[in-house]
Amino acid sequence: MAHFGPGKTASSKEQAGLRYPSNGKTIYHRPLHRTKTAELSQASFAYLFSEMVSYAQRRVTGIQELEKRLNIQGHPIGLKLLDLLLTREPPRSQTRPLTIIALLHFIKINLWTHLFGRQADRLEKSSNPDTPDEYMIIDNEPLVNAYISVPREMSQLNCAAYVAGIVEGVCDGAAFPARVTAHSVGGKEEGEMWPGKTVFLVKFQPEVLEREALFGKG
Amino acid sequence: MSYYFAIIGTQDNPLFEYEFGTSKQGGDGQARFSEQARHLNQFVLHSSLDIVEEVQWTNGQLYLKVIDKFFNNYISCFMTGGNVKFLLLHQPTATAAGATRNSTSVGANPTSPQTEEAIKNFFNEVYENYIKAIMSPFHKVNMEIRSPVFRQRVAAAGRKYL
Amino acid sequence: MTVFALIIINKAGGLIYNRTFHEGGLNKISTNDYLVLAGTFHGVHAITARLNPLKPRVGNRSSTSSSSGPGGLLTRPEPPSGLEVLESENFRMQCFTTLTGVKFLLFTDPTQANVDLTMRRVYDMYTDYVMKNPFYQLEMPVRCDMFDRKLGSYIREINNR
Repeated sequence: MAHFGPGKTASSKEQAGLRYPSNGKTIYHRPLHRTKTAELSQASFAYLFSEMVSYAQRRVTGIQELEKRLNIQGHPIGLKLLDLLLTREPPRSQTRPLTIIALLHFIKINLWTHLFGRQADRLEKSSNPDTPDEYMIIDNEPLVNAYISVPREMSQLNCAAYVAGIVEGVCDGAAFPARVTAHSVGGKEEGEMWPGKTVFLVKFQPEVLEREALFGKG
Repeated sequence: MSYYFAIIGTQDNPLFEYEFGTSKQGGDGQARFSEQARHLNQFVLHSSLDIVEEVQWTNGQLYLKVIDKFFNNYISCFMTGGNVKFLLLHQPTATAAGATRNSTSVGANPTSPQTEEAIKNFFNEVYENYIKAIMSPFHKVNMEIRSPVFRQRVAAAGRKYL
Repeated sequence: MTVFALIIINKAGGLIYNRTFHEGGLNKISTNDYLVLAGTFHGVHAITARLNPLKPRVGNRSSTSSSSGPGGLLTRPEPPSGLEVLESENFRMQCFTTLTGVKFLLFTDPTQANVDLTMRRVYDMYTDYVMKNPFYQLEMPVRCDMFDRKLGSYIREINNR
């Protein structure tokens, strides 16, 4: 990267090839803090998401690949939301998540509220002693799946892989590299109550646990 | 006082840099680094990244204050949620540094609470603009920020607080 | 007060959905007969739509252009609706055609009230759980669990009232 003197800055506005909106306002002129009541149409999101799934479905060989593509679509959103939601916090609680628990709480509360207007339903740690690196975020009815019926021959698929990608983006961005996958568990344990119940399985990389052990629990 | 500001990505790669001078106490906003020092600045700044990595897991604040000092160069750090570092190297004018040890003016004493607060405000304003920059759907993580509007905004924040 | 069955016919006259909600309301017929029923009804509907003359737009004759509606917007004359209701001693069939030419046939008890409302809800569910489903292919048979489930519980609610 070259050094830019302050003198060059003034002229760079007239740089060729850059287009400005006719009213001269760029994204930098708009406030970061939104009013709480701003809502978006669920129907338009449903149509958009439906097209995203159809798009991801093109030229894929299997369900795993399809889920991976959905995951990739969500990943950058997670990275961006992490910073955005952090600035929207009140200044005194504006801290970077330093522990796994703090991070998962941030996801369960802040991220879910921002995206879906409510918190995630439950947060659990894997009870299996062989997998201490696994945590579960549970959503009884994921908003993205509200109108989706997965055909029987693709029963392994859960389109909430897109949300899993967002969660993975938040984890990766906060330097807690993890693999996040979405699994349907509806109709298994708790019967027909929540047919769309989805578990987001967060599996952290070994170095995260190492660091956690090193710095203690907070 | 002269400042060298850089945004460092998660892979310790530079994303943005900007040099400026103080606008307080009649400063003209121009950096007064010698040609040699300008190259040295990059080394000094990047060498402080090791310390950032130590501090970042014990302090959850975004603003980590002055974290490193190399002769007369002070490095202030601000960590974003996405682990991108904002580093500001500030170099008090050589003559003023020793003489006005107890001075509270922003330009003279790099570790006074007033200076800390001013730098914090500067970082916060840059952070806000940085978030707007990364909100662009064309922006990927660790991508160099080339937006001239962003550069103007950083310059304006520098003029306003430092 | 019972809703017996629902049939959905695509714009080409093919049967894309067929479900019976109440045993004993209608006699069982084979799948093939359902297909024939759908195709025949489609044809009859098309003919009745042609029998039905276009309604002249009332009070619009004097204005400069007969095709401009209120507010200067271009509007088409109301299309002929074709066959809407078929009644027999034991059942009543109501047909609803969407703007895209999909037909919903609801078979109910002859005394059933508010069929329009029920039809509206069924259409709502179709737009939600069929049209917003990325795995549904247009004009193809509807196989959406979510649609089946929501429709089932809605009709059950009506039939148990």
